[in-house]
Amino acid sequence: MSRLRVPATSKRVRLLVNGHAHTLEVPARRTLAEVLREDLGLTGTKVGCNRAECGSCTVLVDGRAVFACTVLAVEAGDRPVLTVEGLEGPDGLSPLQAAFIEHDAVQCGICIPGMLMSVQGLLERTLAPTEDDIREAVAGNLCRCGTYPNTIRATLAAAQRLRAQRENPR
Amino acid sequence: MTPSRLLVEGQTPPALGRELTVIGQSIDRRDALEKVTGRAAYSSDMHLPGMLHAKLLRCPHAHARIRRIDVSRAQALPGVHVVLTADNTEGWHTQWYMIPQPAFPREIAYAGQEVAAVAADTPDLARRALDLIEVDYEVLPTVFDPREALEPDSPRVPALNVEVPREHNVQQPVYHVKRGDVAAGLVEAEVVTESRFRLPTQYHVDIQTRCTIADWDGQRLTVYESSQGVWNVKRELARSLGLPEDAVRVVVKYMGGGFGSKAGAQRVVHYAAKMAMLAGRPVKLELTRPEEFLSHPRRYAAEITMRLGARRDGTLTVLDCDIILDIGSGSMYASKYTLILHQLWELYRCPNVSVRIRAVYTNTPPTGPQRGVMDPIASLSMEAALDDLAVRLGLDPKAVRLVNYVDHAQGPPALAYSSKALDQCIERVTEAIGWSRRDTLAAQTGPKRRGIGMACYMIERAGYAPFSAKTDVVIRRDGSVELRAGVVEIGGGQVTILPMIVAEELGIRPERIHIHYGDTDGTHYAPSSHASRITIEVGPATLQAASLARQALFAVVAAHMEVAADDLVARNERIEVRGDAVRGLSFAAACALLPEPEITTTGSRAPNPSDVVFRAFGAHATEVEVDTETGEVRILRFVTSHDIGRAINPKLVESQQFGAVVMGLGYGLYEEPEMDGKTGVLLNTDVHQYRTPTALEAPPIETMNVEGEDPYFPYSAKPIGEAPLIGVMPAVRNAVFHAIGVGLDELPMTAARILDALGRKRAETRDAR
Repeated sequence: MSRLRVPATSKRVRLLVNGHAHTLEVPARRTLAEVLREDLGLTGTKVGCNRAECGSCTVLVDGRAVFACTVLAVEAGDRPVLTVEGLEGPDGLSPLQAAFIEHDAVQCGICIPGMLMSVQGLLERTLAPTEDDIREAVAGNLCRCGTYPNTIRATLAAAQRLRAQRENPR
Repeated sequence: MTPSRLLVEGQTPPALGRELTVIGQSIDRRDALEKVTGRAAYSSDMHLPGMLHAKLLRCPHAHARIRRIDVSRAQALPGVHVVLTADNTEGWHTQWYMIPQPAFPREIAYAGQEVAAVAADTPDLARRALDLIEVDYEVLPTVFDPREALEPDSPRVPALNVEVPREHNVQQPVYHVKRGDVAAGLVEAEVVTESRFRLPTQYHVDIQTRCTIADWDGQRLTVYESSQGVWNVKRELARSLGLPEDAVRVVVKYMGGGFGSKAGAQRVVHYAAKMAMLAGRPVKLELTRPEEFLSHPRRYAAEITMRLGARRDGTLTVLDCDIILDIGSGSMYASKYTLILHQLWELYRCPNVSVRIRAVYTNTPPTGPQRGVMDPIASLSMEAALDDLAVRLGLDPKAVRLVNYVDHAQGPPALAYSSKALDQCIERVTEAIGWSRRDTLAAQTGPKRRGIGMACYMIERAGYAPFSAKTDVVIRRDGSVELRAGVVEIGGGQVTILPMIVAEELGIRPERIHIHYGDTDGTHYAPSSHASRITIEVGPATLQAASLARQALFAVVAAHMEVAADDLVARNERIEVRGDAVRGLSFAAACALLPEPEITTTGSRAPNPSDVVFRAFGAHATEVEVDTETGEVRILRFVTSHDIGRAINPKLVESQQFGAVVMGLGYGLYEEPEMDGKTGVLLNTDVHQYRTPTALEAPPIETMNVEGEDPYFPYSAKPIGEAPLIGVMPAVRNAVFHAIGVGLDELPMTAARILDALGRKRAETRDAR
């Protein structure tokens, strides 16, 4: 089991995570998931496989869902990153988080941060998703508890709520 | 409604004397908030000061003897603190379900078995140290196929467990249970069918890989785990490490998936604990995804031969079943294999039964329980064979089930069930799926064929010896209420429903109750969250503790109000005189009357009585569409009905059903382990190639449960977690059979197997011409 020695090249990066800027010296080979979890303490982002297969590390970069375990932290510099910790607003839970609770789209919970971020990415594209749109959006997020039917219900409910908010802003 | 025979020690709690206000409400699960905000810290999210990181070296050979291990270069690497191998752990045993296993045996039983453990300053350093360990193996002959392992001249598989009785590769005893006379039943039969089935192993694929942090302060070991049972882990670690139980504390606040795989203390927990004690620093040991596949106990694989004999009206006269269980390099004790039996032995009336179960060792990773444990083996055999029989007789498969319906356990001795409503479940699912459309579907032409199938299931889950489960309820003078339960929240909603029981008994809102859980400190022994047992084992204890607390509070209030305690009723956050709601006081005001700062009551689960049989039942029906050109199966609809007794929280019950059905569909249709037949190494050790269902595969699932009375369980609530998985595979198999006219005999029913089956059918049709 010989392994490649990667030169410990570091780069200064400005990460914009959940609206906060962090300037860090980051080894070039470190993933965004590692830096979020280990350097910024944002352990809401999970790592279930570390090779872009299970989806538990999903975050939004530039509003698009990506697997943080296969994005290098240096690639995410100066681009807005949204993690599960950034979903709550000043009034508390986002409509999506609230819908996940109400529709019981959470069991053991380990996949939920990634699941939420994939759905959040979808809702940033459209507030009128179909069931198929939702299935596609979370197709890369494995949930072994099998919450999928409730993920779909919760997303439809959240989209409806967000549409209503958009049409009738307070 | 009154649990008149509730399984508790001492007096049966008195009836509430009012309608239920909390039980039966679909309230939100209480741990969801932390989980949707990312605040829930699983063991893998935790970091202790000075923490070391551990990695494991695994043997690449499926059978080998370690001649020599040289760890000198690894040990010399700066930053390496502990190296464990067979050389420095002689005589040390890990424990799994209290079964001792040599921690680092010299004879390796499967590819991927642990050979050394290293704890170092960083994960990278630990990995580098592994590369420096030199192991000299004597490679030995292997056997991977259980049928070959049965041959007397096959290689002998070393068992992972400390030896249990065996004859060559067959664990002893071989279970051969009989009722009546099989020969007589065959004579009586007007038709006899023989079916063969193969079920592969299944992997749990918990999305959180195993991860332990062990911290030794010189006197006491604290372990932060991802385990289904804090008390099991505590006891197993204490025994393994030679510590008094008081010196071990286990904490599991959140866990990322278990499904049976994390029920006992895993080997990784023992390794981390040992290294923490030797290093004097906390040690974190987290497995990678491939390691999960290579090393942890997975579901049993089985080969089944099933003969059914019946009269022309479908009445069974004989059931003769022979099962070869592939238990890999070790499993639980042989007595657990009787878990296979229930569906074969009991579900349909049959006077003459023979079931033989041989558990065979192979040079593959160990096996263990997974959702439903061995019931899927019995369920597929029984339910698929029954459809084979129905087709052979030209009868409706539902009618064959009903003609053999039986309302009691046949024994011997024959015993009553605590409750059984399977007949209603069958009616509900068949009506919902449109069972009567089956005949019209038979006339289909074209490449896409639809089919409708059903299956029943049953499960023996009502607690296991030693039945110990105790909880405390504390009421404080300030009006606060605490429940202390040594359970783990596995995702089933355990920490939501137990406070609901307390709230119901005290007449207060569930959110007012604090629950202390997932910690061996401050709790009594409670069973692990496996075998669908928390509601039915910890539930009675919790109901009793809360009831005793209510009675203690009533005594104080009765003295204060100068009324009889029996005349009081607790509801709507108040304690009132029955029939005179004006006379009463708020719950908080009642608590303020307590003479002591707090009262603590303890409830305790009693053993199961022997004069009644506890089972949960249910039925599934599904409509599928099979593309006969591509072999693809689409589940169009899936309906399921469970004999639930009463759902404490219907929303959470439905979630369990969704999850169980989805996992069953994975087993039935998609999840295919690919083992290299030459080396015994699993090839698809990742979740891309080992395909668990995604949202794309999850069909519309409808639940239509049957409620009724069961006096032994809290508010009649029967178990749910595992059972709905059991019948999924045969329901789909029977629907596919109906669609394409050929019954599959092997899981998963992949496109390739469907096309093979269709090819065989075409060949048979040709031959018949």
